Amino acid sequence: MCHQTVSLAARHLEANGISTVIMGCAKDIVELCGVPRFLFSDFPLGNSAGRPFDAESQRQTLELALQVLERAPGGRTTVQSPLRWSEDAAWKRDYLDLSKLSPEKIAERKKEFDEVESIARAKREAS
Amino acid sequence: MTTAAPATKTPFAADYDAPIPYMQRTRDYYQVLGFNPYRWAHFVDVPFTPLRMPLGQARVALITTAAPFQPGVGDQGPGAAYNAAAKFYHVYSVSTETVPDLRISHVGYDRLHTTAADINTYLPLAQMKDAAAAGRIGALGPRLHGVPTNRSHRVTLETDVPELLRRCREDGVGAAVLVPS
Repeated sequence: MCHQTVSLAARHLEANGISTVIMGCAKDIVELCGVPRFLFSDFPLGNSAGRPFDAESQRQTLELALQVLERAPGGRTTVQSPLRWSEDAAWKRDYLDLSKLSPEKIAERKKEFDEVESIARAKREAS
Repeated sequence: MTTAAPATKTPFAADYDAPIPYMQRTRDYYQVLGFNPYRWAHFVDVPFTPLRMPLGQARVALITTAAPFQPGVGDQGPGAAYNAAAKFYHVYSVSTETVPDLRISHVGYDRLHTTAADINTYLPLAQMKDAAAAGRIGALGPRLHGVPTNRSHRVTLETDVPELLRRCREDGVGAAVLVPS
């Protein structure tokens, strides 16, 4: 949802004269929305700006984003960072992996989801 | 009789070593949980504004979806479970002179493979300050802005994003770096 929000924000800023670049990890969501410039890091969600406790990776990620901001020839420019999260890409199989969920676990997740929704709704209505 | 093709070595990466199809995974997951599919924002046309000045002269905003820490609403620290009580629902702004305490326990980051222990992985404030000090960007905006992640497209488009633009104009920025959590 964060990637969709910033995509909508980038489009609105851009349409009103402010040049933008998104740094993010969810390629499909950003590209489907359609944004001017996107620096994609193929990292787990939560690491849009580089690897944890790795200042050099964070510096390189921002620098690449700034280059995209400066040089993109037109809208829908995506550049993928050459940095790898790990040598083994097996982590990519885990996100919302249904094959690991038993019927009991699914029922548990649904209950959790309903609880979270009810907390969020209450908070939203109070804000 | 059936025959299996002999295993051949190719120079290709593993099938799963591609960007994660988040929309498909989310759709499949929530369908199994019994929910209707979410309709993601999708446009054909994309606005484009070339930078109007060299980046070394531009004032650049930092925009985040991270949330200000809220005492009393549960664990928001590294590895915390998804915490809906830590959500926020209005655009906020904080000075870039300080290091604000912003967390991401309110969103669905990859809790299996990362912990959000280092703020610099989702908020490149320190790196942007360095970029400004080095002259790589003209200046960092005086405030960073936080945008709520709302499932309602209408609220994002009609309320939050116009408010974000208003604040960016107040700050006189010519460019923005947007970082989802």
